[in-house]
Amino acid sequence: MSEVSRLLADYGPAFGQALLLTWKLTVMSFVPGFLLGTVVAVLRLFPLPPLRFVLTLYVEIFRNIPSVALLIFIVFALPDLNVLIDYEPSVILTLTLVCSAFTADYLRAGINTVAGGQVEAALSLGLRPMRVITAVVLPQALRAVVQPMTSLLIALMLSTSLASQVPFPGRELTALVSKIANDSAAGMAAFAVAAAMYVVTGLLIAWAGATLEKKVRILR
Amino acid sequence: MSRPLEDILFGNPSPQALALTRVVSVIAAAVLLLLAAGIVVRFHSAGQLDARFWEFFTWPTTWAFLAKGLLGTLASAAMAAVIALAFGLVLLVGRLARLRLVRWPSIALIEFLRGTPTLLLIYVCFLVLPQVGIKLSTYWMLTLPVAFSTAAVVAEVYRAGVLAVPRGQTDAARSLGLTEAQVFFHIVFPQALRYIVPALVAQLVIVVKDTTFGYVVTYGELMQNAKVIIANYHALVPVYLVVAALYCLVNYGISRASKRIGRPMH
Repeated sequence: MSEVSRLLADYGPAFGQALLLTWKLTVMSFVPGFLLGTVVAVLRLFPLPPLRFVLTLYVEIFRNIPSVALLIFIVFALPDLNVLIDYEPSVILTLTLVCSAFTADYLRAGINTVAGGQVEAALSLGLRPMRVITAVVLPQALRAVVQPMTSLLIALMLSTSLASQVPFPGRELTALVSKIANDSAAGMAAFAVAAAMYVVTGLLIAWAGATLEKKVRILR
Repeated sequence: MSRPLEDILFGNPSPQALALTRVVSVIAAAVLLLLAAGIVVRFHSAGQLDARFWEFFTWPTTWAFLAKGLLGTLASAAMAAVIALAFGLVLLVGRLARLRLVRWPSIALIEFLRGTPTLLLIYVCFLVLPQVGIKLSTYWMLTLPVAFSTAAVVAEVYRAGVLAVPRGQTDAARSLGLTEAQVFFHIVFPQALRYIVPALVAQLVIVVKDTTFGYVVTYGELMQNAKVIIANYHALVPVYLVVAALYCLVNYGISRASKRIGRPMH
């Protein structure tokens, strides 16, 4: 315990900043990832074979590629193609792409929970297909995917640890622990503090997700 | 099985809509082809299509080395999966125990392992454990953290399965005079497994992805071997592309297998 308090005296503000950076990376990749994933899921509904093919490829690639491999490609290989992206945007881009692929996949499952009869009814009322998607299908699909999206958000939060793999100016939690472990003998205490921060953040997200789920779920 | 939603949505288009769809399809195809062409041009203008960046892929030694890396990945992933399945069962039994003294530490351990990034656990095995005198080989420095964080997830998957087994099964087994252990291991758990096989196989994909961190501890898996090849030929783009494709293929194969197994059995 005394080790932890000594560590917090030395590195307290650094841990605060690291936690904030972890949160920031999480939010900044989840929001665009979620929106992009929704767009992909909707576009995959349209009867345009070339678009469907490419988007399916997109989803399968970014669902199955390890995030680190993608990050390393963006950071170290893209400059050889004269595409230079700074470290922080690279991390956010990596997580956004992965998040969007999973979102599109989960949303597809959510769309499948909407009964076909509802779509037929909406069409027979004279709604255009696009209007049916935005007014009937999407709202119900989104309400059905709160739970998997919560898990995805937690997984994404944990994945921000891969920012420690690139020479980032700021340090998020995992990078901070590896620096402290390199510099001093306080590695174990640093690990305990960082782990507690990750676990508490994850539990908060899980709690928020469960609350939202209770509010919006559709009882059938 | 009812029709897919998109077939209902766009099922009977009017002639105008049909024509419009065709036109948009063609335009979309053209735009996507242009995009692909743009990427190829970019590769060419950056000199990444030069023969020297690709010719070593025609040598068997390159592929042998990559295959060795893939084997390293699979060896670590397989061991991690086996440990996770076994340790996950231990965590589950602890989680379901009546005794609070057993249950609460199990819950805490599950939440802790599930809630910390695997990469952080790897750093602990790599940087912190040597400080307190525990030295692991690079294989275990990678495999153990992956195994433990997967075990916690597997324990929760098991629990979902166990909770899905109808209660009557437990009651019937108890009334036949089976002990609690017999009820769990002979009646409940085998049935729970059937529900969760797809989820368990899907977890394998995450294990394979997590072993990518092997290069952090310089364990010879696919990513690490790719780095060695890159150091030899300075061919970042081609090697990383090939490696990414290999990972995608392996994981896609596993996902497909899990979907196939996931089909209802009756």
